[in-house]
Amino acid sequence: MASLPRKLELFYDVLSPYSWLGFEVLCRYQHIWNIDLHLCPSLIGGIMKNSGNKPPALLPQKGKYMFVDLQHLRKFYQVPIQVPKDFFSVILEKGSLTAMRFLTAVKQENPEMLERVSRELWMRVWSRDEDITEPQSILAAAEKAGLSKEQAKSLLEKCSTDKVKSSLRETTEAACNYGAFGLPITVVHVDNKSHMLFGSDRMELLAHLLGEQWQGPVPSPVKGKL
Amino acid sequence: MASLPRKLELFYDVLSPYSWLGFEVLCRYQHIWNIDLHLCPSLIGGIMKNSGNKPPALLPQKGKYMFVDLQHLRKFYQVPIQVPKDFFSVILEKGSLTAMRFLTAVKQENPEMLERVSRELWMRVWSRAAEKAGLSKEQAKSLLEKCSTDKVKSSLRETTEAACNYGAFGLPITVVHVDNKSHMLFGSDRMELLAHLLGEQWQGPVPSPVKGKL
Repeated sequence: MASLPRKLELFYDVLSPYSWLGFEVLCRYQHIWNIDLHLCPSLIGGIMKNSGNKPPALLPQKGKYMFVDLQHLRKFYQVPIQVPKDFFSVILEKGSLTAMRFLTAVKQENPEMLERVSRELWMRVWSRDEDITEPQSILAAAEKAGLSKEQAKSLLEKCSTDKVKSSLRETTEAACNYGAFGLPITVVHVDNKSHMLFGSDRMELLAHLLGEQWQGPVPSPVKGKL
Repeated sequence: MASLPRKLELFYDVLSPYSWLGFEVLCRYQHIWNIDLHLCPSLIGGIMKNSGNKPPALLPQKGKYMFVDLQHLRKFYQVPIQVPKDFFSVILEKGSLTAMRFLTAVKQENPEMLERVSRELWMRVWSRAAEKAGLSKEQAKSLLEKCSTDKVKSSLRETTEAACNYGAFGLPITVVHVDNKSHMLFGSDRMELLAHLLGEQWQGPVPSPVKGKL
């Protein structure tokens, strides 16, 4: 392959269902397209605050629509996404601060595990309606992803360090500086330009900007590329 | 073709740029997919009021994003969409009441012209190029007069209410009736999902016309 992989930054928060959908699509395509996927754990709360935006579900018609939209996309994207029973409490009250700090620590110490641990956290909150705020919840997700008990405990301790807190803050600021008012955002660096794309529904446009082929949200893996 | 065409209702307002994108995609696919496309002129202002929503561009970051997004989609969808110079004045102050009443009158009196006249109005608001839609001066004058009749005003009101009852909080919405169910899809970026629900093939926003179908 003659050309360098194009850098893609996915800014996401496990609290955000559409972030999960965008994440899974890009994780599939990173083995097919000539891209270098950087996963960037961020805080959607910080982005909303910075932009003056509000969670869409706070508007009743948008909330109702989102629930139905996610049911369609569950099948279409083949991601086992399920709205938690007490949606508002999970999203608006409990939040994701510790979870996203944990993922920041994983990115710093065990970056090769970031994809799997992120997925396990989404599976807890957005598939099995399980908690992601308590220490034991996060340790359980980490172990399910393949980290040892010791590694998981060590990463959890790092969550209260300045190194991790400021890194999460900086990543969230970076998303804001790219113009984010929500998540997910995908920033693609191509032809000496950067483009910020909002949402899990701009992936076909992303393919177009990369000059790659769009095969829908569930592509066939390309033999020989893995 | 053994099966009946599936009914699709597109609720739109020419004030809405994403409505134009959704409109063009569906107008292309109506000649390819087994669908029966119904164009439903609506008032986005009424939908916003009913749902308590606000135009996204009122949030600065969303407005900035929309301008850039439309530049990308202009090329990707091959629709000559251009943000008007005085965007806020056009969208928030001038509005689209007469235009949408006019389209309602066109739908009642000259339904075969609705697609072309809708496009012409979008071209005027959302593009620099404007072409004639093909109505004669007399037809246009007659339709304009009908805009102030109860028949047209109430029809536009009813169509807008129908969109609200489907759960709209903005436009465009596409309502697809398939397998004895109705699904409301919001936005111009749910067309690939629409294809999936219809069991049809998605060829992107600019499909090759199927020979023998026109």
